[in-house]
Amino acid sequence: MRVLFQLFFLFLAHNLIAQGFQVNFQGQKQQGMGCAGTALPRDASSLFYNPGSAVFLNENSVIVGGTPVFANVLFIDSASNGAYRTNSPIGTPFSVYGMFQAKSSAKLKFGIAINTPFGSTIQYEDGWIGRFALTRLSLKAIFIQPTFAYRISDNIGIGGGFVISKGSVNLQKDLPIQDANGVYSHAELAGKAIGIGYNFGIHLNANKKLNIGIDYRSKINMKVNDGEVTFSVPNSLSANFPNGNFTSSLPLPSVLTLGAALKLNRSLTFVVDVNAVGWKVYDTLSFDYKQNTSSLSDTKSARCYKNTFAFRGGMEWVALRCYSKSASNEIMTEDAVVTKIPLHELLVRCGGGFGISPVQNGYVTPETPDANRAYGTIGLGYNFNLKTGIDLSLYYTKIKRADTNIETQISGTYTTIAWCPGISFYYRW
Amino acid sequence: MVKNIFPLISLLSIGIIFSSCKPKIDASSVISAGEINAQHFVAIGDGTTAGYMDDALYHDGQINSLGALLQTQLKLVGAGEIYMPLMGNANVGTNANLLSRLILGYKTDCLGAIGLSPLRFAQQGEGSSLTTSVYSSQNKFTNFGVPGLRMIDMVSTAFGNINLPQHNAFFARMSKDQFNLPGSGAYSSVQENIFDGGYPTFCSIYLGIEDVLPYARSGATQNPMSPLAGFPGLGFEESLIQLCEQLYNQNVKAVVGTIPDITQMPYFTTIPYNGLNLDATNAESLNQIYGPLGFSFTIGSNAFMIEDPNAGAFGVRPMVEGELILLSVPLDSVKCHQYGSVYPLRDEFVLTLAELQEIRNQILAYNQVIRQYSNFYGLAIAETPDFYSGLNDGFVYNGVSMSAKFVSGGAYSLDGIHLNPKGNALLANVFIRAINKKYKATIPQINALNYPSIYFP
Repeated sequence: MRVLFQLFFLFLAHNLIAQGFQVNFQGQKQQGMGCAGTALPRDASSLFYNPGSAVFLNENSVIVGGTPVFANVLFIDSASNGAYRTNSPIGTPFSVYGMFQAKSSAKLKFGIAINTPFGSTIQYEDGWIGRFALTRLSLKAIFIQPTFAYRISDNIGIGGGFVISKGSVNLQKDLPIQDANGVYSHAELAGKAIGIGYNFGIHLNANKKLNIGIDYRSKINMKVNDGEVTFSVPNSLSANFPNGNFTSSLPLPSVLTLGAALKLNRSLTFVVDVNAVGWKVYDTLSFDYKQNTSSLSDTKSARCYKNTFAFRGGMEWVALRCYSKSASNEIMTEDAVVTKIPLHELLVRCGGGFGISPVQNGYVTPETPDANRAYGTIGLGYNFNLKTGIDLSLYYTKIKRADTNIETQISGTYTTIAWCPGISFYYRW
Repeated sequence: MVKNIFPLISLLSIGIIFSSCKPKIDASSVISAGEINAQHFVAIGDGTTAGYMDDALYHDGQINSLGALLQTQLKLVGAGEIYMPLMGNANVGTNANLLSRLILGYKTDCLGAIGLSPLRFAQQGEGSSLTTSVYSSQNKFTNFGVPGLRMIDMVSTAFGNINLPQHNAFFARMSKDQFNLPGSGAYSSVQENIFDGGYPTFCSIYLGIEDVLPYARSGATQNPMSPLAGFPGLGFEESLIQLCEQLYNQNVKAVVGTIPDITQMPYFTTIPYNGLNLDATNAESLNQIYGPLGFSFTIGSNAFMIEDPNAGAFGVRPMVEGELILLSVPLDSVKCHQYGSVYPLRDEFVLTLAELQEIRNQILAYNQVIRQYSNFYGLAIAETPDFYSGLNDGFVYNGVSMSAKFVSGGAYSLDGIHLNPKGNALLANVFIRAINKKYKATIPQINALNYPSIYFP
């Protein structure tokens, strides 16, 4: 364990992290602890983080949560010193979980997870220097994951689910063609996408203090089959840019996570996760237009993402705990030990992480101005009574990346600041 | 109700707080003039510096001229206001033949096909502008770009003398002695006008294109190129030296542009030498006509036929690869009246390999002396040939493909010779980079995408 933490801080010192258009906001408790928690079942969000650990929760429960993303990007053009900003709408990652068991302490659990592990909307200010590469990109993917989990023994649980991903893409950019009034042309590509995958996890209680979790979420290829492209171009060129259909696809990478949780004592818990993200699948972004003309040919843009790692860790401290007098709230915990659920509990969490950018030098694009990133999080949890509670989290990151894109020759420095306050409510019975 | 409003308000205020946390602009990027004093900047040059484009001098072209764009950036390091001999703001414009500027419009060709083509914006050019003085003794021009100005014209007193048929009307209207009565005193040269009332502190000099261009545009039939040797006013080299000497003596720094290979411009490259497409019937009839001369034609693409006094007894031959047809060729005659096949293209529409060699050698010779004396006098050199040949190869600028292709390439104006505003901005960046390099300045380059190219109907 100590070795793990040393590794963690070693990487932190090198200030590495980032994750393309991945969004790691699937549970407020985990978010409070640096977005880690693969080995720590705390609530039904484990259906996502590690279905194998969910079996150690002895409850029926429902969680609803969301994390608005307030992200601002500043781009400074290296040649002209021009400064351009984004005015992206607030991102809205959300998650809904439901977990059910036939009877108390059942070995088999059923659950459903609905969340948004990928996606982003980025919109640049009017007239920005990269407008002919991108003015707005909106990627949405909602994962629906029906899940079964089974407790093999008191120490080992497994779980898995199919993932159906429904999404949409909307990409807009200006075209360097001006009409009689000097107004630039515009292209909008919009389509619905669908893909399937799976999520599988194993949980191991190594001893009373240490849990280990392994989770694998598969790659999902989001295919856009009947996308619609709309051009607004001068009349004299409308035949060159016919509105019509296109096909495209966007791969969402696999994520393999190895996690550990250390319960130091009754009120202090540490977690750590290491993600291996299979970003290499995002090699090329291509658009295949059904109708090609001399001015409109299919496009293939190299993205050349590389596989990366992300390191996350955090801690949870019980600041306040009081029990009710009734004995009816005894449950079996994940350690298969009968304990009492506290009536009121205030938990304080904090954490952080770092990730290596999958985007190589020469391939940074306005759609994902990614960089190695470090981030910090804090969180709070409170249960009002035996059944209901609230969790809050706050995520902050600032990243900076200077690059000259090989394809577009857009050259400058992107600086991104993101604040992401999250909230969720749970009800359990 | 009140209960519901409170969380809403707190959520909103949280939203406002987080949205306001934006990355700050780093103030560390310092803009510096380096070793130059930009205060009294003057741009010296020909049509490119003046903003001549779309085959006319007109208002919007002028404000997007190389000279104006350079000065706009130099204003960041202390240059003064831009004063230039602006044309009327109706943007009709005029060329030396009193024709208005070109715009892209619909044209029906001799085959009845409707297509986009450069057309004159108005029936007549803004001719009155050429006979009206715009000189002001208060606001001295900072842009001495004169369409048609050659290196050897800089010291010419005939250049602005309206009594002489060879005078330049674009210069006469801005010269300080436009209203001299005939016979009442001398006429000042361009250079005298520039230095009138005080020397500039910094100059851009982009001259030399007009010393070869008129010759090339005539298909190498008239308007001989400026000789290299000869006194100032006659020879290119001495004319350049005397200008550099004057600047050097007054401690005026400058950036000097070298001359691009003008034969790479769309005016010369748009019509391919082998653009004669024949069907079986036409190929057969041409074979009957030219068979006795030893020329044969095939179905598909063939080389155009041209007049060439050196080509055998009949002075006719097919073009060879590398030879160029000028955009001045009457295209309807080519399409519908067998011009370029049964009737060979006249010499004035064609540059042969020998003529091209002559023109390119002259440009190389000019550039050699420009580099030599710029280095000698410690001036910055803007290597514009690299930029122009870059356009010929095509390059991407902030996601926009730029090329030397006529109309669609995005850099040239509709005359196929002068750049459009976007092209001028990219060219100005060549000059800015040269200044920054030579004089250790950090003047920001222009975002060329803020400048228009060609408007489509």
